[in-house]
Order: sequence, then structure tokens, then C-alpha cells
Amino acid sequence: MDNLAYKDEYGATAQANAQNSLQLIAFSIGEQTYGVEITTVREIRAWNGATPLPNTREYVRGVINLRGTIVPIFDLRARFGEGVTSPTKNHVVVVMSVGEKWVGILVDAVSDILTVSKDDIHNVPEGNSVDTELLNGIVTHESRMVGLIDLHAVVSGAKLDG
Amino acid sequence: MSDLDDFKATYFDECSELLTELEEQFAAIEAGERTPDRLNAVFRAIHSIKGGGGAFGFSELVAFAHAYETLLDHVRDGRIELSDPVAVLCIRANDLVADFVNSAKTGTKLGAAYGAEERAQFDALSNGGAHGAAAGDDENGPIVEEFDIDFVPVMVNLDGAAAAPVVPPADDSFVSAPLAVEKGHWEIRFAPHSELYARANDPLLLFRELANLGELTVEAKLNEIPPLADFEPFGIYCTWELTLVSPTATAESIGEVFEFVEGNCDLSIAQLSSKNSKAEPSLADLAQIVTPPSAAPVTDAEVESLSFAELAETVKAEAPKRAAPPPPKLVKSAEIDPAPPSLAAEELDDRRAGPDDRRGAGVQSIRVDLDKVDRVVNMVGELVITQSMLTQQMDDTLRAQYQELVRGLEVLAQTTRGLQDAVMAIRAQPVKSVFSRMPRLVRELAQKTGKKIKLETIGEATEIDKTVIEQLSDPLTHMIRNSADHGIETPEKRRALGKPEMGTIRLSAEQAGGNILIAVEDDGGGINRDRVVQVARDRMVIGPDQQLTEEQIDNLIFAPGFSTAEAVSDISGRGVGMDVVLSNIKKIGGSVHVKSRTGLGTRMTLRLPLTLAVLDVMLVKVGPSPYVIPLSSIVETIQCSRADFGRAPSGAKVLRVRGEYVQVVDLAERFELGSGADLANRFVVLCEAEGGVKIALIVDDIIGQQQVVIKSLEENFESIEGIAGGTILGDGNVALIVDVQGLKAPKLHKNAA
Repeated sequence: MDNLAYKDEYGATAQANAQNSLQLIAFSIGEQTYGVEITTVREIRAWNGATPLPNTREYVRGVINLRGTIVPIFDLRARFGEGVTSPTKNHVVVVMSVGEKWVGILVDAVSDILTVSKDDIHNVPEGNSVDTELLNGIVTHESRMVGLIDLHAVVSGAKLDG
Repeated sequence: MSDLDDFKATYFDECSELLTELEEQFAAIEAGERTPDRLNAVFRAIHSIKGGGGAFGFSELVAFAHAYETLLDHVRDGRIELSDPVAVLCIRANDLVADFVNSAKTGTKLGAAYGAEERAQFDALSNGGAHGAAAGDDENGPIVEEFDIDFVPVMVNLDGAAAAPVVPPADDSFVSAPLAVEKGHWEIRFAPHSELYARANDPLLLFRELANLGELTVEAKLNEIPPLADFEPFGIYCTWELTLVSPTATAESIGEVFEFVEGNCDLSIAQLSSKNSKAEPSLADLAQIVTPPSAAPVTDAEVESLSFAELAETVKAEAPKRAAPPPPKLVKSAEIDPAPPSLAAEELDDRRAGPDDRRGAGVQSIRVDLDKVDRVVNMVGELVITQSMLTQQMDDTLRAQYQELVRGLEVLAQTTRGLQDAVMAIRAQPVKSVFSRMPRLVRELAQKTGKKIKLETIGEATEIDKTVIEQLSDPLTHMIRNSADHGIETPEKRRALGKPEMGTIRLSAEQAGGNILIAVEDDGGGINRDRVVQVARDRMVIGPDQQLTEEQIDNLIFAPGFSTAEAVSDISGRGVGMDVVLSNIKKIGGSVHVKSRTGLGTRMTLRLPLTLAVLDVMLVKVGPSPYVIPLSSIVETIQCSRADFGRAPSGAKVLRVRGEYVQVVDLAERFELGSGADLANRFVVLCEAEGGVKIALIVDDIIGQQQVVIKSLEENFESIEGIAGGTILGDGNVALIVDVQGLKAPKLHKNAA
């Protein structure tokens, strides 16, 4: 029995390495888990303050210095319309590349690296426009719901709103 | 972005370098330095431009460069004397080559007739006897006699090739008629290495060059072609045996043809006794001859009908026959084998290195992406910040306790500072890259205005940051135009004034402290102050009774739209130029100074920062955030408690300062940052925006003055109203740069989001 279980797990890993799977960095905002594709993540760093930008949307927390480059930080909680995060040293900035640009996303915590099958990605239920706009899909991992962030929407929304 | 695009970009980079070099060489030639080295350098540059152009199929460029090259070749051989008219034609040709390169780069068409006149002149000169006199180029008429009559038919043949710029099919000229002349037989065995192709040499061009020397028979040895399965695209499977029949050729003249590929091929040149001349080639041989050396299309119908594999088979079947040892008829009278470094080869190398040495003894350079350099600059900046942070952490107890650590940190501080200087120096470039574009401009201006103008350049080696150099081209162009059009007088007028007919524009660059001074000076008539004042009064730029100092009058020429020209010519007169100079130079943190002496000339001096990356700023605090204001735009700072505020009818605050009313912008309000400070404890920073408009900014505190490195916000985000960019402070935090110009405009209303 044990043997069999091991085999199953092995099989799953092998499959995971196949093209059909996706590796995600999972992070949390409150109770909810979200994920982004691991290849887009450049760096994860602790929140260490940001210089606020004037005349911009409330979910743009400001800019930080990332080894000599200025990178904007988006507050994901505020982006989802759940109020502005009051960050502490325990909050985390996930730096990602979106197209040519590098952006940081402020989240509560980074939890895990998940491997999911592309077949398991479900469409976002219609209804809430914020969800359909900002999520690419929803995937279930160990009975948790993980929202796949559409980075382009999160970032470019800044322009559309302006 | 395909590889080809990358190659193209590299090619155009190289072209601009080569064109700069050409400009340099001809400057020396024009100055009377007509040495073979100079000509060889010119020849090489044109040849490289042509070679690369051919590879990308820029047929117009190649055709023109080829005609030009032919002319240069003749000049090099001494068949055409490098007289002044020829030099002038060559300089004109350089300009045209630059145009062709540019047209290829931008993809614009210059039209078929472009450069046709010059090409006709090349042909007239090159073909001497055939067209020289007919073309009416009398200065060059006598050259005709110097031509070797044997040459004429070959030249005509080549002309055909030149007119069709695309590389002609291989069978075009190489299948020669049975050899008629039984004199001066040479057998040349030529086996290229892969480096030869890697350096974009084409055996076809070499053979064509050889065909210039006499009757040439080319036989391709294809016996090494493997089966298709083993065929490597970049493999070298073809060698050639060539037979040259020429009464005049010598081992040296043949060797010269291969000069450029020497070391990249196995080459043997041997003279045959005339009796052993090769029999007429068989049909099979003929097929081999027309079989393309590398990629040229197969033209022979018989060969075409075979598939490639079949062809390979045929060749393989023939291989044993062909692989027979070198014909015994080979008489080893003269054999040049470049492989071992013989004395002759070394001499050749020396000769080739000659002109390069002249440019700067042993200076080697590599081509690096600016992005990569910027990355290093960023990283070093980061290093400096980390280092200063570490130093700040050291307190007295630590210092006493860990002396070794302190010493280490001191060394680190020194090294990082050195590293920072060194990295900034990488970005610096000699101003030569802009200066070298100016001789052409002056030539064109002289032609258009009918004036005689010569350009002198001084201090070309002065180095400035690359970004500054890029911003320099436009202002310099306008300044030189201005000098040529308004400054320098017509030759008649100059003669009447007792000045030499030839006017001089002097372009100079020097470093003075943390600045670079670039001056454009002419020996013309100077600024016509009466006329400037009159125009200024007419246009209400100044009041009718306002009295101005000479300096103030001179500075009027920088006003937008100001022009003293009665008519707008295609050179100047629209009143845009000087305005562009001033605004461009101000944009990069520089200043312009003009000094004029009536009848003697005008000097305009640009004072530029050494690097654009560093900006002198005042660090201020607004709410909790640090902001920086460029020092160049600050006029003065006033404590709010001493400032004289008033209210405009709209309710907006205004500041009265020295009899002027100035718009007030409270940065805390404008940027929606709560300010805890009393108004009395805050400060007014009086700034001057473009066009002399003043604006008073209210900030919470003034922290100090420092130098910062400008970083773009748009790189990862978007532009923000009122903010010109960001910068990284010594503690690693980001401070925003206030856009004084942008704050002048009233705040845009945000859409309710």
C-alpha cells in the first residue's frame, strides 16, 4: 500500500514536470490564497517601506529602490477593493516582471510553491467584475481555492483608471 | 527581433564608425597628407561598408560603393592622380555613401538617380580612355595616357558587373574562352578556411579581382562534399584551382589580391611554363566550374536537373580522379605560403597595422551594449549606498573594538569610489563622434550660401557622457548654421573688409572643472545689434524706450521665434534654431553664453555638465516624503514667516517678491500629503521654469544640497504629473524629483475612480 502511494506521488511529480503543469508561487491576503506563475517572480523581499507617489491610485503604495532601479509597489488588497493594507515588517513584496516592466506586489505572506495541472484551472465565475478582471482562473490545491492573478490587469489597470 | 536584425544593427553601428573614420582620413587628405596609408584606410572602410551592405542586399549602396571603390582602387594604384578635384569628388562620395547607408537603415528610397552624377564621374575617371574626355572632366583628361591599354576590355566587363549590383551568377565571367595568350601562366590553388567566410569575404570577389589581371580560368574542387546527411551548413567543402594567363601579373600582384584573406586560407601561387598550359576544360569540368562555390544559384541546365544528393554522388564518384596528387607540371618558382609566419607576412601585417597605430597607439576597444554599462553603473551605485550604510553603522564602541573591521571598511570605501569613477568613465565618449558630422554640414552650407568656409576643430578627444553627446548634435548644427548664414560674410564683402576670403568656423571642446565647454566661434561680422534691437522693438519683445546692455542684446537672439533674417531661407531664418540651442542645452543642465564683437566675429559657448546622470539638487521634505528640486531651476529660498503672501481674486495664493507676483504651489496640498508643520516654519523655494516664468513652491523643510543620479519612473511604471523622475538617496530610499515645469500648469482633475 505504501509502495503504491509512493508510486502515485512519483507519477504525479513526473507529470508535473511535463508541459501540462504549472508551478505557482502562492501568497495570501487575509484568508484568501492567490498565485502567480513562478517564472514571472524575480524576487521576494520583506516590506521595508516605500516612497509614496503623489497623484496616483490608492493601491499604488509608492516606489522602492531595487538595486538602483525604481520599482512601483501595488497593494493587492487595495487593488481587490478590500481596503489599504497597513504593512508591517512581516508583510512581503513579491517582485515580478510584467512584460518589460518590473513591479512589486504587497501581500500578507508568501506561503508555498504549488504545482498544479493546467487542466485543473477553472474559469472565474461571472458576476463580480473585480474578480473576472483581475483573475485568470481559479485552481484548487489541497481543497484550498487559489486565484491566479492576471498581472497585466493588476498593473495596467493603473493606467485605465487614470 | 531576429538574428538578422541584430546583425543589421551591428552593421549600421560599424558603418557609422567607418564613416567617421572616412571623414577623418579625408580631413587629413584634404590637408595635404596624401600618403598610401590614408588611401588604404579609406579603401578598407569603403570595402567593409560595401561587403556588409552586400550581405544584407542593400543593392543601391553596394552599387555606389563599388563604383567608388573602383575609383579608389585606381587612385591607390597610382593610375589616377589624387588631385584636388579627385579628393573633392571622394569627399562628396563619402557624403553620398553616408546617405545610402542611412537610406538602407531607415528603409527609405533615395531614387535610382541618386548619386548617378557622381557615379558617372567615377566611371569617367576610372575608365579614363573610354569616357574620360567625353564626360568633359578636363582636369583628369591627361590621366588617360597612363592607362595600360591591356586593361580596357577587362574594365568594360567589370562595369557590367558594377551596374548590376546584385552579385552576378557564378557563370557570368569565369568561364573563359580557350586561352589564347601563351605567356605568363600562373596556377593558383586556393583553399579557404571557415574564418574567411566568417569575415564576410567572398571568393567570387577575389576571383573577379584576379580577372582584372588577365584571363582567368576557375575550377572548383568539390571532391570533399560529403553525403547530404553529413553536410554541415558552415562546413568548407570547396577549394579552387585557378589558372591565370597574364603577361603582366607577378607573384606579388596576385598575392595582393589575396591580401585581405591572408591567414584565412591555404594559398599557393605558382608560375607555369607556357607549354604546359592547361588544355581546354572538358564539359564535366565546365559543369564543375559553373557549380556555385558557396550559395550562388546553379545555372547550368544539366547540373540543375540533378538533385543535390545526386550531384554529391557524382562528385564523390569523381573524387578519386580529382584527388590525384597536384599536377607535376607545377613548377615551384614562386610559392607564397602564408601559413608559417614568414618575414614577408610580418611585413604585410606591419603595413596593415600602420594607419591604425596612427589613430592611437595600440588602443583596443570592445563594443558593449549601453544597457550593460548602465547595469554596472546601477550596481556600483548600490554598492556605494551599501558601503555608506555600513560606515554609518559604525559607532565609537565598535570602532574601538574592531579596528581591523574599520580598516577594511575604509579600504572598501576607497575602492568603491574608484570603481564609481571608473564606471562613469566608461560611459564617457570623445566629442569627436559629434564633431565629425560637422565638416559635411559646413561643406553643404558653404555650397548653399556661396561662401567660402573652413571648419577647424580643436579638442576632439574631450570626453563627455554619452547621453550628453547625443543631445549635442542638434544645438551644434543650429549654431554652425547660424555662423555660416549670419556670421560669415560673402567672399566679396570679406575681401572689401580686408579679411581673408575664406571664413573660419572654429569648433572647440575643453574640460573646465566639472564642466565641458564647447565653443563655436566664427570670424564673421558679429551680431548686428542695431538690427536685433530694431526687430525686438518691432515685435514688442522689449519696450520702445528700454535700454539694453550689449550682452542683453546678444541674448535676445535666443528668444523663441526671433529672427533678424528678412527672408526665410532653407538654412535659417525661421527663428527656431537658437531657441532650440537654448532649450536643449538647458534640458541637459547646461548653459549658453554668447559673445560678439562687431566686425570680428561671434563666439557661442556651451557649458555642459560632465555627466547627465548626476544632477545637483536641493533635498526638501514634504509631509513624510523626501523630494528633490533641481538646483539649476532654483532662484532663491525664503522662510515662509518672512514671505509676503497675497491673494489673487480667485482666492489662489500669490507671492510678492521683488515687485513681482508669483504663482504659489503648496507641494503638500498639491501632492495630497498632509503637512504637520505650521506655515511659519515652512519654506518657499522660488523656482524659474522654462521661459523665465517663476513659480514659488512651499515645502515643509529644506534638508540640504546634494548630487543625485536621475532614475526613470516610466521604466517600470508610468509618468506622474508634477514628478520628473526619481532618485536614490544615500540611505537607499527613493526620493522624487519635482517637475517645476509641470507644476506650473493647474492641476488636472482626477476622474472619480
